[in-house]
Amino acid sequence: MTRTYISHHPLDGLLPLEPGIRAVDHLDVPRAVAIASVMAMEGEEASVTAGLAASGDISVRFAGPGEWLALSRSETPDSLERALSLLLAETAYVFEQSDGRVVFRLSGPNVRRILAKGIATDLHPGSFEIGTSSNVLCGHIGVNLARTGENEFELIAMRSFAVALFDDLRVMGREFDLSAGFSTLG
Amino acid sequence: MASLIHCPHCGIRPKEEFSIRGDASLVRPDPAASDEAWNDYVHIRSNPRGRYHEHWQHGAGCRRWLVVERDTFTHEVFSVTDAASVARKAGR
Ligand SMILES: [Zn+2]
Repeated sequence: MTRTYISHHPLDGLLPLEPGIRAVDHLDVPRAVAIASVMAMEGEEASVTAGLAASGDISVRFAGPGEWLALSRSETPDSLERALSLLLAETAYVFEQSDGRVVFRLSGPNVRRILAKGIATDLHPGSFEIGTSSNVLCGHIGVNLARTGENEFELIAMRSFAVALFDDLRVMGREFDLSAGFSTLG
Repeated sequence: MASLIHCPHCGIRPKEEFSIRGDASLVRPDPAASDEAWNDYVHIRSNPRGRYHEHWQHGAGCRRWLVVERDTFTHEVFSVTDAASVARKAGR
């Protein structure tokens, strides 16, 4: 598989290369996720929504009306952009973002109490259901937040904010002995 | 200041996610309008006590411009609408 990612992850040097002891609340940082942003052309919002819903293993995050982030762990950045461009031809603009964003996966029984230290949005399981995603402010950093499991959330941040957000998440999680490491899945 | 804004796209959000531009009731004059009309449009603002229509941008959320109708005295928010649909309704 060809890797076109910038070889240096912004958290290299801050996270150990070998997985350490994992606490119940854990911050997992996948090194290689293909990400593209998708913007619907005017009047095509509904057909793009339908197209993205049928896109298989690509996970889709809401960013705003007619605007999404599309993520894949199996596609390369190039193949994701190609697949989306084909799927949404003439209805949406697709831009490759893999090197420009960093994904953080936060999970554990205290995940909401950790996130509440930075995010003012209501994350109660009943109001922020699994599959929900939205742009929110975490401290002073804008992120795309998605609930990906019962007690699991993913935050997608701009690459240049990754270190600052990582520091914030560590402080937010210190009370719960939050552990952190690169994802063992790559 | 109203502290929670119900964004039509993102739901209930803290005011920190928004930036405020000001009066949303102003209509841009014709390019050929008098200097006086342009001066009023660009510089002259009232500072009302009570109900007010304001442009807010949800910068940390959907990034859309919104029209927030709120009370500058009680901080009550009456409505929040996407600015594009407000403009369309007004025929602009
Ligand atoms: Zn919004």
